Amino acid sequence: MERVGVFLCTGCDIGASLDAGKLEGVAKEGGAIHFQSSACLCSGEGLSALRGAAEAGTVDGVVIAGCSQRHKVEEFRFDPSKVQVERVALREQVAWTHPPGHEDTQALAEDLLRMGIVRAQKMIPAKRLEEEIARTVLVVGGGLAGLEAARAAAGLGHSVVLVEKSGALGGHLAGVREVVPDSPPYGALHPSPVPELVRAVQGDAGIRVLLGTKLLRVSGQPGQFRVELEGPGGKEELRAGAIVQATGARPYDASKLGHLGRGSSPDVITAAELEPMLAKRELSRPSDGKRPGRIVFIQCAGSRDAAHLPYCSSECCGTTLRQVMAVHQAWPEVECAVLYRDLRAPGQLEHFYRAVQEQSGVMLARGTVKGVAPAGDRLKVKLEDSLLGENVEIDADLVVLATGMVPNSADGEAIRQLRDAKMRIERNESETQVKLNTELAQSLAHHEGTEILNLAYRQGPDLPTLAYGFPDSHYICFPYETRRTGIYAAGALRAPMDPAQAAEDGCGAAMKASQLIASLGRGETVHPRAGDFACADFFLQRCTACKRCTEECPFGSIDEDAKGTPQYNPFRCRRCGICMGACPERIISYADYSVDAVAGMIKAIEVPEEFDEKPRILALLCENDAYPALDDAAMKRATWNSWVRVIPVRCLGAVNLVWINESLSRGIDGVILIGCKKGGDYQCHYIKGSELAHKRLENMQETLTRLQLEADRVRVVELARNELSRIPALFDEFAGKLEELGPNPLKGF
Amino acid sequence: MASALGISPDRAFREELARRGAASAMRCMQCATCSSVCDLVTVDSMFPRRQVLWAQWGLADRLRGDASVWLCHQCNDCTARCPRDAKPGDAMQAIRALLVEQLGAPRFMARLVGRAEATWPILLGLPVIFWALFIRSVNGFAIPRTPLVYSDVVPQWMIYAVFLPAGAFALLAGAVGARRAWTAWGEGASRSGGLLRGLGAVALDILLHRRFQSCTAARPRRLGHLLLLWGFLGALATTTLLGIGIDVLGVRTPLPQLHPVKLLGNLSAVLLAVGVVWLALNRAGNAAAAGASRAFDLFLVALVTLLVFSGVGAELARLWLPAPAALAIYVLHLGMVLSLFLTFPFSKLAHALYRTLAMAHERLTADQGRKP
Repeated sequence: MERVGVFLCTGCDIGASLDAGKLEGVAKEGGAIHFQSSACLCSGEGLSALRGAAEAGTVDGVVIAGCSQRHKVEEFRFDPSKVQVERVALREQVAWTHPPGHEDTQALAEDLLRMGIVRAQKMIPAKRLEEEIARTVLVVGGGLAGLEAARAAAGLGHSVVLVEKSGALGGHLAGVREVVPDSPPYGALHPSPVPELVRAVQGDAGIRVLLGTKLLRVSGQPGQFRVELEGPGGKEELRAGAIVQATGARPYDASKLGHLGRGSSPDVITAAELEPMLAKRELSRPSDGKRPGRIVFIQCAGSRDAAHLPYCSSECCGTTLRQVMAVHQAWPEVECAVLYRDLRAPGQLEHFYRAVQEQSGVMLARGTVKGVAPAGDRLKVKLEDSLLGENVEIDADLVVLATGMVPNSADGEAIRQLRDAKMRIERNESETQVKLNTELAQSLAHHEGTEILNLAYRQGPDLPTLAYGFPDSHYICFPYETRRTGIYAAGALRAPMDPAQAAEDGCGAAMKASQLIASLGRGETVHPRAGDFACADFFLQRCTACKRCTEECPFGSIDEDAKGTPQYNPFRCRRCGICMGACPERIISYADYSVDAVAGMIKAIEVPEEFDEKPRILALLCENDAYPALDDAAMKRATWNSWVRVIPVRCLGAVNLVWINESLSRGIDGVILIGCKKGGDYQCHYIKGSELAHKRLENMQETLTRLQLEADRVRVVELARNELSRIPALFDEFAGKLEELGPNPLKGF
Repeated sequence: MASALGISPDRAFREELARRGAASAMRCMQCATCSSVCDLVTVDSMFPRRQVLWAQWGLADRLRGDASVWLCHQCNDCTARCPRDAKPGDAMQAIRALLVEQLGAPRFMARLVGRAEATWPILLGLPVIFWALFIRSVNGFAIPRTPLVYSDVVPQWMIYAVFLPAGAFALLAGAVGARRAWTAWGEGASRSGGLLRGLGAVALDILLHRRFQSCTAARPRRLGHLLLLWGFLGALATTTLLGIGIDVLGVRTPLPQLHPVKLLGNLSAVLLAVGVVWLALNRAGNAAAAGASRAFDLFLVALVTLLVFSGVGAELARLWLPAPAALAIYVLHLGMVLSLFLTFPFSKLAHALYRTLAMAHERLTADQGRKP
């Protein structure tokens, strides 16, 4: 923006801490065409002066030097097509956290103001995308979660297409008559809600149910998905705005449970195999067809076991309690014993658990099952580590293994690796290549033919998975979200859960899908940068087709053409800037945020001469967690080193290494990056950003050493949102380290 | 695994327990809150959690061979704190009720008393009818002089003729039960001495009700129970002294009001009366802390109440009421005493026997360290 005005607020201790006159001088020097000071900028008087200047056209860029960008958001909101706003946090980063009237405090404020003016000058108004958005929600999977998702989406006014691979709706619960209670009375079984739900979905004019149908290909982007299907009626193509994937889970493969007697006798069955007997009211032993006198249920069959499923499937305890109650009600003479390691009956299920315990002829015993062996025409179950501290045996006529659940997801990334490996083997370029890729293809062979969504994405045909094969969906902050914008995971596919949770999940995912469609209609992205409509611009003339952006985008937003040139899909994009951080040619930018803008801010920092003994530190803080934590630390009046200059960034992954080069070559003594936790239990709001920043900086350390700069001058730190008390020590400790290293040798060059 | 313990959801056993008030114990989830507040916990025995588990798993033999269920005074601190409302205190009481029936001999008597909820009219009524018929057949209720002297109508020989055999029966039946229990407990433990040594060691604990002192929830019960114990001991002493007096020294009844034996008897009667009223009121007013009141409990409360008040009543009625009314109360009293004798080894009163033995057993196997 050319006409940038600075509006200084001297309220909230700012005026008492700083020399406003000097700040005005800095503003004028920085090229601001307008300066105005207000004792309280967010008051009616302050705001009318601010708005007056903007509306009169005096200014088209506004630098608000006052509180942090996280406060007074509504008061300082302007039409982004007309006025660009930059906030300089003099309150949090200066007045509240540094000694008032001190020369270092004043210098800090002046630097921050200079940086803000540059940023405002480098912003340009963004254009909103105005494209036609399909309002149809595609639901994949007709189990409980899928049915609920379809009903919820239809209830929100969307047309829904429900695709089910099998010939019937209802999923695992299709044949189950009664379910555990999710409403009073909690002590009794309730009729299954599934038949009614199936009727409601089939009878809903807004829902098209496609049975026996598979997805051949899904291309395009959210709001404009092109879905190719094949069903009994042949092939078909349709448009969808969003997708809810509710493909559920399957029981763990019981053939691996030989240690629990599976295979040693036909009378060792799984919970899923007991289900049809209960449904048909025909309880009989597979071996001789007789009704069992005693059934022993073994919990955690292959679950919470490093050799099988390491996790708890959370639903099997409830299922077993339900089955015990169903057996007890239909055949009161049949005894039931449940052998468990921990009986997990969360929430109101506890009441049902108690009701089951109270049934005569039902027994629950804790311990570790050490074997199931045929003994005559019965079975002997051995239990170790029982509550009596003794080894225990119990005779059974039928043993039911409560197996855990394995998600029906396909790992898109692995499938793509497999395809790539096969392609390279076919190309047969070198012997080593072929050997390596053959090994890779073998290790990934189990992914062959597992595609579900068949996405035409550069990063693979399905959702990437995280732990245990579940799709990578950030379950703390953003349940249902996956790493593919506009595709939401729901039900047992997302995480192990019981039917009541799955129903809720379907509804939740449908609401997210609806929200996305509405946001795309306004040309905006969804959270965490909800409302942002500035898209990434690719200056493709300078692109070297290095593929870093297409590889590193956590959301698979960028496809490639045959030459490897990036093909950006704006509606898949979440505006995290990770591509901007990745690009070595710096050709990716946003109208309001670019490599150049931040580099300009860095250049605006005045670096004192070496003999002044006033080092400078650049701190790049992730705006999702670290920056709010800094704000909160300031709110608590924490104090920290006055050499630090903070720039908020969209994600650590959005940090382009050129900024660090720029800083060090300008004589800034050190750069600290503070972002979210990475790894298996990451807290990064863009999943991969923090991890990528660590990786890129590792690579950079070599460069630093080559430049005769100490690698310690650049540091990257993981910080959780609640760790605000760590911030002052982080800065102070880093400053101490830099003092030890001495001034940046490049100062003054 | 050769010596693995067989367990089963033994339906009959569980239903027997449930009928006696242990249904709630099946809800137990073995959190051991009960054990953490119980004084009977030892390093290697989580009382009463373990006993509840035995009950859930149908391990009747374990319960029979365990003396600690008898050491429990049902102070109900466990029940008060149980997070799942499994009422371990009631469960222990139900287990004791079942054990009293199982240990008792002859079997039909044990069953009869064990079903007091249905059989109480027989248990209380038959002895009274027996006495009425007995007296009528001997002297047709002839009252030779006034004021009424009970020994005119019911001479000493009639008392002996009934109560000596009844007492012998009670002793014998009690001895059989005691022997069964003592043997069962001895199977898994080594005792460091004989029964008498054990009894000697615990006598003072029992007489002073020291164990009761550590209870919190059921603390008010201690005094009533102590009064009853001393009242019964006093009554026993009175009867013994009176027997010696009449048969050896030729004393004539009724005794003068200030005779030491008479005074002892009256004092005992007061202790019994206050004690039983105390316990009955505690049970009525403080149901949660006192535990559930089943027929097993109420039968004994009713019997002792009738016994004490018919005794006191007979004494007073002789002086103040018309002779036939006084005689009726006396017959009721005789019936209650007879009922007490005959039901003693099978009713809740049997705890006096088994608990004493259990305390002796515990003293003799004192290698198990008590919780500090």
